[in-house]
Amino acid sequence: MTALLEIRQLGKRFATRAGRAPSPWVIQDLSFSVAEGEFLTIVGPSGSGKSTLLNIIAQTDTATAGDVLFRGTPVTTRDPRALKPGLERRIGYVTQDDNLLPWRSTLDNVLFALEVQGTLDQASRARAMTLIHAVGLAGFEHYYPHELSGGMRKRTALIRTLVYDPPIILMDEPFAAVDAQTRTQLQADLLRLWDLGRKTVIFVTHDIAEAIALGDRALVLSKQPSCIAAEHMIPIPRPRNVSDIFALPGFAATYEKIRAAVQ
Amino acid sequence: MSDIAAPTLHSKRWRRHCDHAAVIVIILALWSLATWRFGTYWVSSPWAVAIRFVEMIASGELLRHAGYTLTEAAAGTLIGGVPAVLLPLLLRRHPVMVAILDPFMVGGYGAPKLAFAPLFIVWFGIGMESKIALVVSVVFFIVYFATLGGVRALDAKLVQTAQIMGASEQQVARSIVLPGAVPAIFAGFRIAVPYGIAAAVIAELISANRGLGYLVQNGAMNFDTTGVFAAVLMATLLVHAAVWLMNALEARLLRWRPPLDPMMETGP
Repeated sequence: MTALLEIRQLGKRFATRAGRAPSPWVIQDLSFSVAEGEFLTIVGPSGSGKSTLLNIIAQTDTATAGDVLFRGTPVTTRDPRALKPGLERRIGYVTQDDNLLPWRSTLDNVLFALEVQGTLDQASRARAMTLIHAVGLAGFEHYYPHELSGGMRKRTALIRTLVYDPPIILMDEPFAAVDAQTRTQLQADLLRLWDLGRKTVIFVTHDIAEAIALGDRALVLSKQPSCIAAEHMIPIPRPRNVSDIFALPGFAATYEKIRAAVQ
Repeated sequence: MSDIAAPTLHSKRWRRHCDHAAVIVIILALWSLATWRFGTYWVSSPWAVAIRFVEMIASGELLRHAGYTLTEAAAGTLIGGVPAVLLPLLLRRHPVMVAILDPFMVGGYGAPKLAFAPLFIVWFGIGMESKIALVVSVVFFIVYFATLGGVRALDAKLVQTAQIMGASEQQVARSIVLPGAVPAIFAGFRIAVPYGIAAAVIAELISANRGLGYLVQNGAMNFDTTGVFAAVLMATLLVHAAVWLMNALEARLLRWRPPLDPMMETGP
């Protein structure tokens, strides 16, 4: 069985500016693969090229070396103008900033992808409403982003990607900027939604506990130039209760192993 | 909450009306002082102007001339404003074209357009066309640079987000770039429209047989300062009406924006 997404010996260095020493490799010889329906978390210290890695997968940035394969077919390009962001709607991307359109209400932000893809109909609109209810945004459909709390904005950003159902969803520390309580709530929401559809998710974070709480498998990135330093299966059964994840058997041992690898 | 907020807002508005009235009283006092000092031959009195204004409204004369001026200003604002908004949107992906055009746009922006009024009259005759041409030349450049600034200030991440979701170039332009530039476009029109009305009046001053500028010119030639003041007053009211209309439109189109700092609050 071929992996849904495979990363092969990926390398990245940014363009060197004239008169400067060649810029160092940010990512070098990085390889991993993701299976259909897998929740993969990637942990790495800040500056370890996590966002760069996701940008390359999402095709908003080019790789300098190596390949990205989607269902066995190479989709990489070296030419920035040949990039296909979101690779034909197959790769969803929930970024660190929520990037909601400030002139659209919650509902219209969630419907945006359906509108541009021409798939807005009764069924997809109903799905959008189901998602809005599922994350507790009912009653806020007609609020503008500036009228929502940080957690609500994150939820809106999350479900506007889920609503068009891309086969792979990339998440770049989406919950990094909210307080601890809201984060636990958002993690629980995410797991609940994921349980409904079991999408393939690549979730990047610097928070080891988050990586364990959410993932089936956690990869640890090394410092720059980053590559995979360790891989850990997460033995905690689902459904998981995120709020007392620390107490679950297997958590402490996994945490220790990952923490040792991160350093 | 509304129990507390409503009377506060109401009393604020009431307070502002009182302040406006006070400023008007001061202006009228200074005006009367000037009339008393220089005589009604040179500076017509506020009272005489008010009476003339009402008379000219009643006879329909003032509104007819104001209508001409307004038509010229509105037509010029549309003909100049629409391409000025579309051009930066269309050129967003062609920075080389923008760079090529830039010195000419700067030249057009900086050139004293009112000096072209006689030329436009030679080209387009003494009818409405020459006035519209002058308004176009004033409005176009202001709105072009305002829109260009708005397009350039756009958050690239919003565009990228839309592209990841599969938005085409045209969808990005319509759904991201245009709404994102609306505040800047409004800022441009806010400056351009009063200039446009002034340009129409000045073009009429130079050569016309109708319009508020014609009334001003006619009044001056007959040493009728009262008529001049009445026409200028009407032009000022036109500008106020246009600004009010834009404020209303802006409040409607920009409902999504967080409330501005109360210190910056303007308009009704």
